[in-house]
Amino acid sequence: MIEILNLRKRFFRKQVLDGVSFAVEPGLITCLAGLNGAGKSTILKAIMGLVPVDGGSIRIDGRETALHLTGNRGQLNRYRAHKVAFIPDRPAMPPSMKMRDALRFMADFYGDVWNGEKARDMMAFFELGEDERLGNLSKGTAAKFNLVLGLALETPYVLMDEPFSGIDLFSREAIADVFSTGWLEGRGVLITTHEIREVEHLIDRVVLLKDGVVAKTFDSEEMRLAENKSIVDVMREVYRP
Amino acid sequence: MRPDEGFTFAFNNREPVYLQVVRHFKIWIATGRLRAGQTIPSRRELAVLAKINPNTAQRAYREMEEQRLIVTEGNSPSRITGDERILRSVRSELLEEAVDRFMELIGHIDVSTEELVALVRQKHAALRNGGNTGHD
Repeated sequence: MIEILNLRKRFFRKQVLDGVSFAVEPGLITCLAGLNGAGKSTILKAIMGLVPVDGGSIRIDGRETALHLTGNRGQLNRYRAHKVAFIPDRPAMPPSMKMRDALRFMADFYGDVWNGEKARDMMAFFELGEDERLGNLSKGTAAKFNLVLGLALETPYVLMDEPFSGIDLFSREAIADVFSTGWLEGRGVLITTHEIREVEHLIDRVVLLKDGVVAKTFDSEEMRLAENKSIVDVMREVYRP
Repeated sequence: MRPDEGFTFAFNNREPVYLQVVRHFKIWIATGRLRAGQTIPSRRELAVLAKINPNTAQRAYREMEEQRLIVTEGNSPSRITGDERILRSVRSELLEEAVDRFMELIGHIDVSTEELVALVRQKHAALRNGGNTGHD
């Protein structure tokens, strides 16, 4: 389990995270939602140790990993790399690289954590060829390839930052289909998205951020069962001024 | 049970998805699309077919097992029950549900039972004579 407790982060005058607490459980798809600037991406980056936090704790399977600008970063980075795959909202590789080279780079860099067979399966599922350069890919294709790079890492946890943002309908549908497959089976998934409608039927748990704290957490099926409300209904209640 | 055989799913966002999956199966049973003893897809296959979370598919199958609509023995694939009594009750349950919903809709309209029955009889006859219900 990834346990986030009382996380705090200030950017200049803005207290972006003001005591955020929630958990990412194995086997569940958790959606972290919030209006623009609510700190969703900051939380993902904090889990990955890419931004330091001002306070609070991030425990990954029992081990404290929150980056406070001190401590042994190297060891923690290794630990995180085996525990969590981070899929950023756009590919982080150089545009001149071919997809084939990017796959080879991942295999070399991650070693045991990289599952080449899974990567090949996903390339076939998305109908991606390996010869194209990353710089020439359409946004939709780049998003799919980005997902391949992240999901082929055999980590118990996966973080996805806006996997549906700015891409065409059919690419969004293809990416949504990944959530119905066994590729995520047993893993704890944390996803941020604006396109809630795309994933209404796919997510187990919702965490709504507002004003630097978690305003509401709920299981989507339980919410439908108990109150007959969709995720979007609940979001309207929480965010409408 | 493939989409090209007419087994397609449509969901609304306000009802638990697992219960909507169960209702799809009940309709297919009541209309004879799924027969007693017929093998159904695995939980994983269903998740992909219906484009839903595998946990939800799992929960739908558990619910159908509890309602004894499907049976799973050991490692063999799940099947529609062979129990005719349960299969018949699915049909009456769906009918009753549909009538309940109809009653809710007309609850605030002032109408006599005779008028209502006459209208239902007329619409039902039209439906049987080629699907024309008076709407276009």
